[in-house]
Amino acid sequence: MFELSTNVASPRLLRRGDYSAYDALYLGDFSCQDTPANFSSHPELLAEAVDLVKAQGKKCYLRLYAVPSNHDLDRVRAVIEAAMPLPIDAIEVHNLGVLRMLREMGCSKPVHLGVFGNLYTDATARVVKDYGVTRVYPNPELSLKEAIYIRDHTPIQVLIPVHGKIPLVISETCFILEHAEHRPAEGCGALCSREHWLTRTAGGWSLKDTGRMTLSGSDLCMLEHLEELAAAKLDAFYVQSHGESSEYVAAVGRLYRDGLTRAFSGQPAGDLSAALEELTALAKMGLCNGYYFENAGRRYLGRA
Amino acid sequence: MVLMMAPGGTREMAKLVLDEGADAVYVGVVGWSRRGSEHELTDDEIREIIDYAGERGKEVRVVVNTLPSSTEIPMFIERIDMYAGWGAKGFMISDVGCMRLVHARLPQVAIHTSVGCGITNYEDVRFLAESGATHVVLPYRMTVEEIAQVKAMTGIGIEVFLFKTPSGGKICPGKCMMSSYFSYRHWLDQNGKDHFFGSASRGGDCLRVCQTNWTFGEDEGGWGRAMTIKTNPALWLDELPAYLAAGVDCLKVPGRDRSEILVRDIVRFYREVLDRIEAGAPLDLAAYHPRLESFHQRWKVERGQRDRRLIGEAEREARRADGAAAVAAAQ
Repeated sequence: MFELSTNVASPRLLRRGDYSAYDALYLGDFSCQDTPANFSSHPELLAEAVDLVKAQGKKCYLRLYAVPSNHDLDRVRAVIEAAMPLPIDAIEVHNLGVLRMLREMGCSKPVHLGVFGNLYTDATARVVKDYGVTRVYPNPELSLKEAIYIRDHTPIQVLIPVHGKIPLVISETCFILEHAEHRPAEGCGALCSREHWLTRTAGGWSLKDTGRMTLSGSDLCMLEHLEELAAAKLDAFYVQSHGESSEYVAAVGRLYRDGLTRAFSGQPAGDLSAALEELTALAKMGLCNGYYFENAGRRYLGRA
Repeated sequence: MVLMMAPGGTREMAKLVLDEGADAVYVGVVGWSRRGSEHELTDDEIREIIDYAGERGKEVRVVVNTLPSSTEIPMFIERIDMYAGWGAKGFMISDVGCMRLVHARLPQVAIHTSVGCGITNYEDVRFLAESGATHVVLPYRMTVEEIAQVKAMTGIGIEVFLFKTPSGGKICPGKCMMSSYFSYRHWLDQNGKDHFFGSASRGGDCLRVCQTNWTFGEDEGGWGRAMTIKTNPALWLDELPAYLAAGVDCLKVPGRDRSEILVRDIVRFYREVLDRIEAGAPLDLAAYHPRLESFHQRWKVERGQRDRRLIGEAEREARRADGAAAVAAAQ
């Protein structure tokens, strides 16, 4: 009926987290190859992780590094080679060069285009479809109406993020490491394991920074609009949990599993105030609706 | 011979740069390029500049590098047909789907990828070539060695900015949506054209929110420091012979949103240097440094003025939207 997915970067998070609310997991942190034990850059970790996810009856997708430079391509190729024989359900790419590489390497698995694939039009969706893409994550700047148009006119499945911080900028270098008060003598010291924020000195604006990616300060929240998503026959939903705690992933997943189940079975959403209170408590800088309703990404409109 | 392309942010600027020795001028179409309308040209102006360039044996590249909405694409194609019919020799495009459509209709025109494509490696370039691109603009973060590698691996036309940042970092333009996260508005005009204030990718101006004063640091009592989020690029010179040796085909002078006089002087400067390099004349690039430094200073002043104006626009739009939301909530 519908699929709810989220992301898991490493074996430690996979073992520690409660993913019972989710139907599918995207393995890997696409933003940074140096993230410790990142599935996106450690092919030796994949087989065991895929077994674990499959044993839970979930679909398992692999995320590839989003912004490889020339000298990173061999490393990405090695991850693809390791992934191809495994029962992975799809591979997610953000880089069009890597998409081309997948085809050249004879990859027969379905491919998902990730958020930094810069997909804005059905014309581009048709191009990537020709390279094996079966699901696209439209650019966050697109409205819900535009995402649905792309689905219908390509046609192709669209992934609709329903909760979590919005990826806004990706970086080739680590912003935290470049500006840290105390830089480690060697390596990066995994400074991103602590939370870092950008706040406007004059107040009012905030962004979360995880080193190689800058995210919205507020958490996208579509809990009040699930009936609308179900009515539009959208069927692939995603909780963006990069940089969030295991508690966050479990709680958000539980609330959306419940909300989506109700919406898809035609039950009214009912009183959402307790759920919204819980989500607000988990969001340090409040909630927003992203660009779905043609407003600035940071705005929250609530139920129409 | 390398093609020097210069900006035509206004009709006057377009003519000035052609007179000063640019081989081609690039002009943005109102509502269809990554700048505000004051730095874009109307259709009548574009036709005039195409004629002006043609009379001098020069070329025009039309910048249509927004990432449009799907429903705008028929309008996009109509415009491309019209400009090509008037004699435009090439287009700068970001959307891969639009690129493929243009190549299929007009295989003779040059298609330059825009910075909005966010290229990071030679496989990206191969993908874009398969989608119809004849030239790719490489990000100003790429080294001479990487550029040479891209040229060797792909053989495609290589275009570089005469502009670079001192460090790597956040991929801008191409993979940044910070501006529209804070300040954004969408409307349709009387012709059915979408406008997206606050989104450079979609045809509005980037409101330069990265250049306001920020504090960055660890959450909950950790360190924090004041900063702007991104470093600004600057004109470069010393690497020019190496870039030419690496196989660069087009040099792109930036500055559609700078003053006509500053852009004219920059074009005159690079024309002089390029002519000396291409003539094989002895060249001491260090002798040009004082002039380059004066451009840096003038550029910095103009950029500062523009950044302050755009950040002010972002704040005004944010306040307007906050006010509208408060009224809606009270009703």
